[in-house]
Amino acid sequence: MANSSGIWTEKYRPSTFPDLVGQHNIIERVQSLTNSLNIPHLLFAGPPGTGKSTLALIIVKELFKQNWKENYLELNASDERGINVVREKVKSFARTKSIGNVDFKVIFLDEADALTPEAQQALRRTMENYSNTCRFILSCNYSSKIIDPIQSRCAIFRFKLLEKKDVEKVFEKIAQGEGLGINPEAMEMLYEGSEGDCRKAINILQATASISPSITPDLISTVISSAKPKDIKVVLDYALSGDFQKSREKLLDIMLKESISGQDVIKAIQKEIWNLPIEPDIKVKLTEKTGETEFRIVEGSDPFIQLQSLIASFVLAGLGK
Amino acid sequence: MSEQTWTEKYRPKSFVEVKGQEEAISKIKSFVEEFNLSALTRIKKKALLLHGPPGTGKTTLAYVMSKEVSKEIFELNASDLRNKAKLKEILKPAIEQQSLIKKGKIILVDEVDGISAVDRGGLTELLMLIEATPYPVIITANDIWQKKLSLLRKKSELVQLKEIDYKTIKNTLIEILRKEKLFVENEVLTKISIRSKGDLRAAINDLQTISKIQAESFMEFDERNKEVDIFNALRKIFKTKPENALLRIFDSVNMSIDEIILWIEENIPTEYSGEELARAYDLLSKTDIFKRRIYKQQYWRFLVYENIFLSYGIASSKKEIKPGFTNYKKPTRILKIWLNNQKTAKKKSISEKYGKYVHVNQKRIMNEFPIIKYILKNTKVQKELKLNEDEEAYLNKII
Repeated sequence: MANSSGIWTEKYRPSTFPDLVGQHNIIERVQSLTNSLNIPHLLFAGPPGTGKSTLALIIVKELFKQNWKENYLELNASDERGINVVREKVKSFARTKSIGNVDFKVIFLDEADALTPEAQQALRRTMENYSNTCRFILSCNYSSKIIDPIQSRCAIFRFKLLEKKDVEKVFEKIAQGEGLGINPEAMEMLYEGSEGDCRKAINILQATASISPSITPDLISTVISSAKPKDIKVVLDYALSGDFQKSREKLLDIMLKESISGQDVIKAIQKEIWNLPIEPDIKVKLTEKTGETEFRIVEGSDPFIQLQSLIASFVLAGLGK
Repeated sequence: MSEQTWTEKYRPKSFVEVKGQEEAISKIKSFVEEFNLSALTRIKKKALLLHGPPGTGKTTLAYVMSKEVSKEIFELNASDLRNKAKLKEILKPAIEQQSLIKKGKIILVDEVDGISAVDRGGLTELLMLIEATPYPVIITANDIWQKKLSLLRKKSELVQLKEIDYKTIKNTLIEILRKEKLFVENEVLTKISIRSKGDLRAAINDLQTISKIQAESFMEFDERNKEVDIFNALRKIFKTKPENALLRIFDSVNMSIDEIILWIEENIPTEYSGEELARAYDLLSKTDIFKRRIYKQQYWRFLVYENIFLSYGIASSKKEIKPGFTNYKKPTRILKIWLNNQKTAKKKSISEKYGKYVHVNQKRIMNEFPIIKYILKNTKVQKELKLNEDEEAYLNKII
């Protein structure tokens, strides 16, 4: 492999169709479309780290060969907010002719579900206006968040979470390339930590390898747990002991320092309840309240206010109520 | 000769000069453009209702609009609306089948919510005017959610003007001082801008006053006044029995309700504990949900509930009154968030570079930073991402 990046997700990113693992149905169909040198607008839907961006890159490389960089524009919807930005960029990109023997260019719009419905309406028109000179590949986590008119203009491909055997293939390839030893137990643990997200899997592996070249389950678990919100237990302990002020101070501290969202905190609290030294009926009560809080975070405007309300319930639980 | 007021002297003459209202401007533009196009079909609404707090540029925008499309403004006030002769004058060209090319008019009805009960017939006339006019009608109002305006709301395209943010106000003030060749201390400018609460006209008026009198004493006095108000309000809420008078407690507090929420949030645990605490935060949580609903649906009547929960509601959460004097604290959360953002600026810029490189968005990278940082400590990777020295130093520090 010619790629010499120090970042393994890049170094081992598949660059041809045969390199890809998993998603066999999709790859077959997309490959034959690409071979015909003509693709419709494409919509890739599926969880993160399942190969959507990678497949988009392979398509353009196969289509345009050495000219792919000139004929390809990648837009990240969540970074470059505002449909106007998107529209301007699309316009100036589409204005010039494509280079080579394919007579259209390709625009990859990542995380299209982050666009508001209004922005999607505008995008739909843009897709129509430039369909002669530009093909769009859209990616999203949930296709339900893409408005119907766009869906109906695209060929839709649904990506699945990677299976264990597929992720293991990737690990083996990297182990070989980097001279690492990964035993089955470590392999199992890496897969668990990745939750079927290949990018995350590779990152955990590289992070672990950066500490020591022998990949032990202990090391892996250290790395994985460093990514989980820490000290949520401390927040809850303060609350149960009746110290609301300390509890909320700690909570704000964690949220700011580790830049985690209210929803992530809720997830951690919901899991932590089962390890707390409280009566079973109170565990259920607190879970109920946690669920209600999660709902209110989605409905409300300030997650931290909602979380304080939840902590106040833990204070009550500490009093046995 | 008396000096011209700065608010008039520096009133914007074109859209580019109007600060902080980009969204409203684009809506207004497309309204007037589409008004002519739809003259044949008449599907579009014929009136534009600009609403928002004072000093955010409603009237200014109407005038700028007329300049930009070179139509003349025909300004009407409440009493004009009932003046049959004047109305006829406006409506006449409609009967004469005026051509579209001829220079047209824009009808401006300023401060429509100011129409008093005596004048109320004026509203009916206004609705008839909207029906019959061949010209676009622009109406301005502070509060459009009064019942008497409900028909008007239905007939008009609503455009909300936001409070102008503090930075924009401050920059505008600086610009004026530059043109006036005057100097006012930066700190004073900051205070004027913050105190104006998004009202640019008030800020400019204050600036003009202050540029003439001894600035310091004036500002200090006013600022202190405001804090006494919120402290008093908190004391009444936390230390007295709930009574109906509490429902109006925030009237005397010169703060936005969002700011009041933060004050209550900060101080609940200094007064309440146990069940009182849980009850109070539950109400605060519901207040927050109404706040979001207002933004989402632009249904401002929900403010009533925010107000009730925050005053009477929080007061009713206590079982007994805690004796003694409490020193209420200023909200600190916003400051902490700001400080943290300063601290994490590097993390953010690194995440952005890395994210672009590996085709993932920056937020997700921030989230996975605890794992990714192990990879980033590799100097080869740092070179590959073209990190600058500051960013490298940050990484070396955290690992």
